[in-house]
Amino acid sequence: MAEVHLHVPLRDEDIRQLTIGDMVYFSGPAWTCRSRLQRYVFDEGHPLPFSTAEKNLLIHVGPVIIQKGGKWTLVAFMPTSSIRFEKWGARSIREWGLKAIVGKTTMGKATAIAMKENTCVHCTPVGVTPQLYQDQIEVKDVYWLEELGSIEAAWQLELRRLGPFLVDMDCHGGNHFEALDAIIEENKKKAYRRLNIPEDFEYTKLY
Amino acid sequence: MIARDILEEAVINTIKKSSCHIPADVHAAFERAIQKERSEISKKAFQSTLKSLNLSIERESLACPDTGWPLFFWKIGNEAKVEGGILAIEDICKKMVVKATHEGYLRSTMKDPFTGDDPGGNVGMNVPAFTYKFVPGDWVQVTYVPKGGGSECFGGTRYRVVAFADGLAGIQKAVIDWYIAGARAGAICPPAVLGVGIGGTAEIATRLAKEAAVLRLVGSHHPEPRIARMEDELTAAINELGIGAMGLGGDTSVFAVNVEYSLTHLAGIAVAMSANCWVARRATTKIYADGRTQELENPNWFDGR
Repeated sequence: MAEVHLHVPLRDEDIRQLTIGDMVYFSGPAWTCRSRLQRYVFDEGHPLPFSTAEKNLLIHVGPVIIQKGGKWTLVAFMPTSSIRFEKWGARSIREWGLKAIVGKTTMGKATAIAMKENTCVHCTPVGVTPQLYQDQIEVKDVYWLEELGSIEAAWQLELRRLGPFLVDMDCHGGNHFEALDAIIEENKKKAYRRLNIPEDFEYTKLY
Repeated sequence: MIARDILEEAVINTIKKSSCHIPADVHAAFERAIQKERSEISKKAFQSTLKSLNLSIERESLACPDTGWPLFFWKIGNEAKVEGGILAIEDICKKMVVKATHEGYLRSTMKDPFTGDDPGGNVGMNVPAFTYKFVPGDWVQVTYVPKGGGSECFGGTRYRVVAFADGLAGIQKAVIDWYIAGARAGAICPPAVLGVGIGGTAEIATRLAKEAAVLRLVGSHHPEPRIARMEDELTAAINELGIGAMGLGGDTSVFAVNVEYSLTHLAGIAVAMSANCWVARRATTKIYADGRTQELENPNWFDGR
């Protein structure tokens, strides 16, 4: 489990060195999106109004940001579940040139393939720590505030060692949660035994 | 007669407290988990989350940005008199939810289910939700629960019917299998405070499960020894799974399993599960007839069951 500090824009060699279980911190520019933005772009055909070439880190998050004295102020920030964006995961990586996605939980098979082909990773938060992120993020700008609303707009951020995040999907096909599934499946047998549930138990079909 | 302005203040303070102050029983559950945890990554997750939760109390800031569903649970004294009548209660709650949202104590999270449009104040069709219990006395008591979207939507809420032929094994297998699926990759933000409702119609079972998850303290037990035993056994069994903090892998996979039950039809046994995330938020205020208010750690929701 290595601790790795990365700067955005991320290069392929930054990403290739990462394997599942590594802890990463990010510095530099990043942007935010949720499903309303992806639907707006991929289903409704609105082109992204900024370049992602130098901003190839996407964070799945609906932050609470308010305007205070003419300046954007971050009230609360905590990455949200990536799995719900699986429908657009592969397209986001290909069309936006993403090198890393930060989000709660993980992503699915189609995204995993796109990550391997395009040298991209998924990173998941270690804990629910909005107050610790607070000092690691500066809000620079926003796109589509009117169109998508404050929670789902494309916020442009500047990160100062934001993290730690666990690499749960690397670009070599490694998947932290798939590895854990096998352990939990094994442990389930112990849980069943404790509760006297036969391993070959089958439910009576009622409907 | 309880004056309207006293109720308004009690309700807004309860909402604010619920969003920023983790309850003492949940705080203690984090401390126990840190002591026990052998997985480096889960220990780090428990420690950093508790550090953030302590800061949110200090800064009077959100414990988690997902302030979730606005859920009100009221105890209404049989002799309680409220300015404007009992109908005033829902009007006050709605206004205070909007106010709390505008002041940044709640995130504007409630959307139109068809368009995704944001009414902006977390108030609209059938939301906030109100549950009432009528009790002896001349006081009222409000509990506000900001119920997180992850634990509610991503596999943390389940329901099925189990045949009497399948009995306890069928009931407990459902809980174990559901929990594994929901907790995968941290979807429901484990370790959960898990509510299980057994028996009754579908809505009785799911309501009992929800109330057991969000209104009972971590460490509490059902008064019937057979149910208390089931709670301990399910807790121990889930903690053998190795799910850990946010599903990262570790020793504490659930903070508590709280079971409530009802009589059921001889045709079958409804089983429902409701998970509350590890940042299990709630706050309770009792408002007396003379206008005094008192913050309570325990909603005592199931007193008299």
